Amino acid sequence: MTSSQQPNLRLERFKAVAGNQNSILLSVLIALAIIFTIAEPKFFSVATAGNILTDWGSIVLLAAGQTLVIISGGIDLSVGGTLAISGVTSAWMMSEILGFDITTSGSDAYPPLVIGGLTAVATGLIVGLVNAFLITKLRIVPFVATLSTMGATLGFAIIISNGMPIGGPNDFSLISPINPTWMPFSWAVIGVIVVVTMVGLFLHRSRFGLHTYAIGSNSFAARAAGINVERHLTKVYALAGALAGLAGFYVYLRLGAGSPSSGVMRELDAIAAVVIGGASLMGGVGRMIGTVIGALILFTVQSGLIMAGVAPDWKKVVVAILIAAAVAAQTLRRENRTR
Amino acid sequence: MRKNYFKKAAALAGAAALAITAAGCAAQEEEATTPSAGETTAVVEELTIAFVMGAESDPFFQAMKLGAEEEAAAQGVTLIWQGDPSNYSPETQIPIVDAVLAQQPDGLVLIPTDPTALQASVAKAVAAGIAVANVDTRVGDLSDVLTFITGDNEDGGAKAAEAIANAIGYTDGETYEVVIGLTSATATTNVARKEGFESTIAANYPGISIVDVAYSESNPEKAATNVNNWLTKYPDLDGIFAIDGTNASGAAAALESKGLVGSVALVGYDAYPDNVAKIKAGIFTALIAQDPAAEARLAIQTLVAFLRDGTAPANAEVVIPNVTLDANTSDADLTKYTYVAN
Repeated sequence: MTSSQQPNLRLERFKAVAGNQNSILLSVLIALAIIFTIAEPKFFSVATAGNILTDWGSIVLLAAGQTLVIISGGIDLSVGGTLAISGVTSAWMMSEILGFDITTSGSDAYPPLVIGGLTAVATGLIVGLVNAFLITKLRIVPFVATLSTMGATLGFAIIISNGMPIGGPNDFSLISPINPTWMPFSWAVIGVIVVVTMVGLFLHRSRFGLHTYAIGSNSFAARAAGINVERHLTKVYALAGALAGLAGFYVYLRLGAGSPSSGVMRELDAIAAVVIGGASLMGGVGRMIGTVIGALILFTVQSGLIMAGVAPDWKKVVVAILIAAAVAAQTLRRENRTR
Repeated sequence: MRKNYFKKAAALAGAAALAITAAGCAAQEEEATTPSAGETTAVVEELTIAFVMGAESDPFFQAMKLGAEEEAAAQGVTLIWQGDPSNYSPETQIPIVDAVLAQQPDGLVLIPTDPTALQASVAKAVAAGIAVANVDTRVGDLSDVLTFITGDNEDGGAKAAEAIANAIGYTDGETYEVVIGLTSATATTNVARKEGFESTIAANYPGISIVDVAYSESNPEKAATNVNNWLTKYPDLDGIFAIDGTNASGAAAALESKGLVGSVALVGYDAYPDNVAKIKAGIFTALIAQDPAAEARLAIQTLVAFLRDGTAPANAEVVIPNVTLDANTSDADLTKYTYVAN
């Protein structure tokens, strides 16, 4: 290697790093943080980090499942509805069946909360299995299948709760930052990070993940290669449902109540996080870390705009620009590669 | 294999469609025969009152439904309760009104989702000889409407302002910061409550400044997000006016998780059971409650009196005042005003 080649190599390396979706996302995140800090100095604080992470917790769970589904070439519109119905069944189980109300707090609330959490995940799992049945057995395209379960879950959430939040036992210290001066993570957020890391490893380090990419890239080739596509997709949608159920429980912890309206439009936030994170709606492309940062960007924008005192309507515009930019960047890179 | 599934699915869908059509026909026949049978006997005694509300998913209408059902049973009239499951919009409501009018009820209680768009539906009902009442919201021109019964949202906002001023111990010369959590910029109830709140603050409590507003889009988690960020931005925040049930739930949760219950005054709206329980726990300083069940009962009473005896209501417009629920409210009153559903 001669010295004259060094600069070229460096340039190539710089190009590789700069062209990497994750470094672009991180740069966007840092740029946003700087802009918002200039607009409102209080933005740069542990408290704000705590606020953003608290918001991030529920959507990143939805988005983690959505990442699997989108990489497999599908889409799951029902995750918001699943979040709502799982929060409601969880609250219903704890308050109506087990008989605990909002006066049960602190560590006294742990036993019912364990049951409530399991109820939420089980509810999500059931919805996921219904999606899988509609898609793999009745051959309904994922968009339509999950559109119908979205309606059904939102409807059932209202029916079970009579349209009102169901209050129940809770320990709010689980959802608040562990230490407000230096530790913005709450125990609930740490739990979410563990779960999302596991799902990420499952996607990137196991045969399950490999098959998910294979089906999303070309389901016929995957089938020809001996992958049982139906069974695999069943697992993918079931997992996405269970994660949405867990998100429902997270929102329960956050509100101390199961609310039927807590899921409305949340599927779009989840899809936005996945798309900003670099996954392709055509399937076969996407990374969990991208989704994680994508969700972080969404809520940095949300908190930043509130802190900066920008009219709430602008949030939608900013998120729309981010999505368009992310997808455009993706398409451009793909064209570069094929050229 | 694939073709088989298609066939099975198609067969299933076909069977379902047939069943639905058959059921629909049967129902229509039934409805068609009931009024004609009534004609020969006593038309007046067999009254049917249709009630078309805004959105089934809203607890407010759930509570209203209970009042309507109770009153219909008490008066011995048949109640047709209809409305979109979740969309509060004229696009979904107008076809529902048309379908209900086709059933030829004697009276119609309508909660118009838009003052102009529903005007034609009212005219159509009156032309068909159906007496119309408006509840909660109204059409622009009330000349065809027998009675309009509503809760006073502006008064509710004013009561909230009084409650906040009380809670923060307002003294002249001092300055205070409060925020308002809204659902959207356009919801008419939100707008009226906000106006009542703002004008009372401006008139009686000049030291209070409303430093920020944000929208929850009917999602309590977003309401909690708004409050979390406000608490960071305004460390000396004195009070929060959560303008509806959703904002109330979210704001209460945010205060609880930040450990600020009691140090920031929280005035909510809508007496969901969960919110009422939080008055006792000291999380809500006060809760402004409407009485949707009373609105529905009065509307049905008025219609029945008019249809049976031709009695026109003494007042064409009736305003049912809001009440302030707080730690001093008796248990009996708390129970009375809590929104309950079936």
